[in-house]
Amino acid sequence: MNFKRDKKEEESGEASNPFGNLEKTTVLQEARAFNDSVINPRKCTMILSKVLYLLNQGEVFGTTEATETFFAITKLFQSKDPILRRMVYLGIKELSHIAEDVIIVTSSLTKDMTGKEDLYRGAAIRALCTITDASMLQALERYLKQAIVDKLPHVSSAALVRSYHLTSGSGELIKRWVSEVQEALNSDNVMVQYHALGVLYHIRKADRLAVTKLVSRLTKSHMKSPFAVSLLIRIAAKLVDEEEKPLDSPFFDFLESCLRHKSELVIFEAAHAIINLKNVTAREINPAVSVLQLFCSSPKPALRFAAVRTLNKVAISHPTSVTNCNVDLENLITDSNRSIATLAITTLLKTGAESSIDRLMKQIASFVSEISDEFKVVVVQAIKSLCLKFPRKHATLMSFLSALLRDEGGLDYKAAIADTIITIIEENPEAKETGLAHLSEFIEDCEHTVLAVRILNLLGKEGPKTKQPSKYIRYIYNRVILEQAPVRAAAVSALAQFAAHCPNLLPNILVLLMRCQMDSDDEVRDRATLYFQLLSSGDRALTNQFILNNLQQSVLALEKALGSYLQGPTDAPFDIKTVALASVTSDELKPTVATPGILKTKPAEPKKAPVKEVSFLDEVSNIPDLARLQLGGLFKTCTKQPLTESETEYVVTSTKHVFSQHLVLQFHVQNTLPDQLLENVKVQLDVPDGFRQVAVVAIPKLPYGTPANAYCVLAWPEDLEVASGATIGATLKFIVKDCDPDTGVPDSDEGYDDEYVLEDVDVNLSDHIFGVTRSNFAAAWEEITTEREETYALSNANTIPEAVKNIVDFLGLHPCDRSDRVPEGKSSHAVALAGVFRGGIEILARAKLVLSDGVNLQLTVRAQDELVAELITASVG
Amino acid sequence: MWALINRVLDWLKSLFWKEEMELTLVGLQYSGKTTFVNVIASGQFSEDMIPTVGFNMRKITKGNVTIKVWDIGGQPRFRSMWERYCRGVNAIVFMVDSADHEKIEAARNELHNLLEKPQLQGIPVLVLGNKRDLPGALDENGIIQRMNLDLIQDREICCYSISCKERDNIDITLQWLTDHSASKMSQSMGGR
Repeated sequence: MNFKRDKKEEESGEASNPFGNLEKTTVLQEARAFNDSVINPRKCTMILSKVLYLLNQGEVFGTTEATETFFAITKLFQSKDPILRRMVYLGIKELSHIAEDVIIVTSSLTKDMTGKEDLYRGAAIRALCTITDASMLQALERYLKQAIVDKLPHVSSAALVRSYHLTSGSGELIKRWVSEVQEALNSDNVMVQYHALGVLYHIRKADRLAVTKLVSRLTKSHMKSPFAVSLLIRIAAKLVDEEEKPLDSPFFDFLESCLRHKSELVIFEAAHAIINLKNVTAREINPAVSVLQLFCSSPKPALRFAAVRTLNKVAISHPTSVTNCNVDLENLITDSNRSIATLAITTLLKTGAESSIDRLMKQIASFVSEISDEFKVVVVQAIKSLCLKFPRKHATLMSFLSALLRDEGGLDYKAAIADTIITIIEENPEAKETGLAHLSEFIEDCEHTVLAVRILNLLGKEGPKTKQPSKYIRYIYNRVILEQAPVRAAAVSALAQFAAHCPNLLPNILVLLMRCQMDSDDEVRDRATLYFQLLSSGDRALTNQFILNNLQQSVLALEKALGSYLQGPTDAPFDIKTVALASVTSDELKPTVATPGILKTKPAEPKKAPVKEVSFLDEVSNIPDLARLQLGGLFKTCTKQPLTESETEYVVTSTKHVFSQHLVLQFHVQNTLPDQLLENVKVQLDVPDGFRQVAVVAIPKLPYGTPANAYCVLAWPEDLEVASGATIGATLKFIVKDCDPDTGVPDSDEGYDDEYVLEDVDVNLSDHIFGVTRSNFAAAWEEITTEREETYALSNANTIPEAVKNIVDFLGLHPCDRSDRVPEGKSSHAVALAGVFRGGIEILARAKLVLSDGVNLQLTVRAQDELVAELITASVG
Repeated sequence: MWALINRVLDWLKSLFWKEEMELTLVGLQYSGKTTFVNVIASGQFSEDMIPTVGFNMRKITKGNVTIKVWDIGGQPRFRSMWERYCRGVNAIVFMVDSADHEKIEAARNELHNLLEKPQLQGIPVLVLGNKRDLPGALDENGIIQRMNLDLIQDREICCYSISCKERDNIDITLQWLTDHSASKMSQSMGGR
């Protein structure tokens, strides 16, 4: 009854969601009814649904609350109502991670798992495995093994899926269940077979040989379950990708044969796998594409969707193969399913010729308001790639985008449009003025603060460089009048940028800034006051430093440095030069897209780059020998460098951490021999003249499989030339003790000394230099007067782009104003470079390159320190 | 004559009035709690038992009384959770291994700890000294003395010496339990 009523309510509209206005405290209060001596199953089921609903909506339950509720739920075991019991299992599972003492239900669940009531058994297994830890698992092993081979498919599936999840914590134990899992693999049930294969692969995936064997055995046996075959295709595709000559692999033949399978699911999976193989050529793709082409005219929307989505992806890498499907894709443009139509159009946009763009854009415009935001983003991204491909079409595309901007839409969607316009502006100078105009109109009516702030920032950066900067001032000042505080603050900063760049606008902007000083918000007022004072002082150097150049320090490191400064005595002023600089490149790293699904072997790597400096400083403060040295602020951490081959007995990589007076070498050592325990592991350096070794930190114990770090600290030599070009020989020294490979306990206390020669560690000029961006290079250039100039003929580069790359890599300076992009077909080019030398000395460089039998370079370096400028010019060539 | 009429009335009442009671069974591990539940439920005795990890919930019908039994594990890690299952029950049954003299002190501490909890005030307690068939087992008086039961004044408390193996005194235990079902309690309260 209850459920029927709910259903009706659902149909009558979303607004009447019975759980819409739940309060956690009320629901927890209601949950006390579980403790009543007489249980009303229907009422309790409802309350449990509410609890689960809240948990799934992300409501946070405290430990006490969760424990109370959990124990109340355990009281419901007295009811035999099957619906309530299944809710109890779900409640136990959801609360098991928050509540304490959850093992209390072990016995009850074990009884349900092995009991007569088949309905309970699968769910009981799932709940039981979430509450047990590795130590309890051994007691349950017997039951779980039985459940895996149970004749009821849902019981077997439940046991298999739980085993799969348990492998992360108790992998060794699950490995003993292989024979049961093998048996389940022969099951007639499609799901059981699929789950069994999943578990089997998971157990063996670390062992490549075993996986290969498994796959070659299974590819020959004809599995019944299309799900299992699909999984097998994924595993096989992974193996094919890892091979050196993928196309000769027998597994590739298997993938191809699956294109002729009778199940559409399998066919699609095979086509998808082949298309996504690395280094695959058009010849191998074509059969897969033609299968997808057939799917495009299938009566099933899901198939059409899957096919067009895959084609959409492959259109980027192999546009010619997809061109064959153009006729079918044209038919899909009018598909009643808007998602399919969108994907079809965007695919056509990617493969189509320049001439068809106008027509397709018109098509999209006709229904763009009907599709969901998610697909609008797909459209916008297609337009983005189109703009890069056909720069001449920017007018059509830009006006389309600005129309989209005016429509309703969520933040993601609007941000995607703004991103696209910004990219177009950056890539295509012709589109800049129109793009900025569209964006400034957009912020007139933008409900997303984040986006408005971003656009104002961009206007501040790009606006002053346009032909007529004054026209943007009105848009920006309107924000100061109409918007919330964060936007107003951003607008004030943008105004200051205009004033600093364009002297003729200065008097007017000063008037505006004066008005802003009356703002109600602290931040806006502070900014206005600061900029007003800076600008009215008329001091170019000051405005350059504080308005035109942005903060070069990494914000995290700055926060940390300020924190530790406040803890110590504050007599000496805070020195910003000791703060690690923000690495420019880290922002450009695109997050890697992890492939979803069962084959996900490792979690997506967390983005470490921006906090690298901070985390290393933490490490240093934890090592007494290093903390004692008072190294100060970290200047730069260089990228890792392997000192051994990756498959040797001991794998060592080194990282150079540059401090103002010291060089810290971090050696990451890994012992790959299970039968050895290494002790007192240290790196002995062959210290070059001029350097002085200050500290060596050894690893006391290095067992198999757990890598650790050893350190050496060198003091920089006075002579910069010596410091910027040195080769340091390194040897790993340690005591070896033979040990039992299983337990890691050494056989005897006696060990013997051994050593292992490592590759040399090189120290280069670029280690001393940290690349930073200058938003106004010309102004900064004027400020420094110490200059050195030199001319070279570059022997190792034949084209200008190659030469630019070499110079940037060698010097470690960062190119400014996108000057590292060389327009095609030009025979000369100038690059503006900026950076900071160790110790906080600013460096600017102009490199003029001319192509004439090889590349000639004229390098002009300006630095705050004469020696540094000389060093740089001397080391090139 | 009146007695006969009363019995007929009782029988008639039992047709319409199903009575329910709820009790919690605690005590140190290996004292025979789960065995006791099995014995009163089905009369089956088994030597070969595994420790209860957590709790077992059983419903047992005796005559017109349905007894809900919460049988809680006695291992140290579960003892802190006893209280949660004792709140609001009709009676707490505390099982003691009367033949294990070494553990009786620990049992005493656990019992007194449990009864100190304010939420459990006034709930009747039945202490059962199990395994009286074993040589050297304490009798009722021995248990009362060693368990300091005379210190407990704030509630009804009773002690029997039983043997699940020999089914000794199981009947009087059941009688005590059914006498403490909800309606009987309210009757006797009213009678006072």
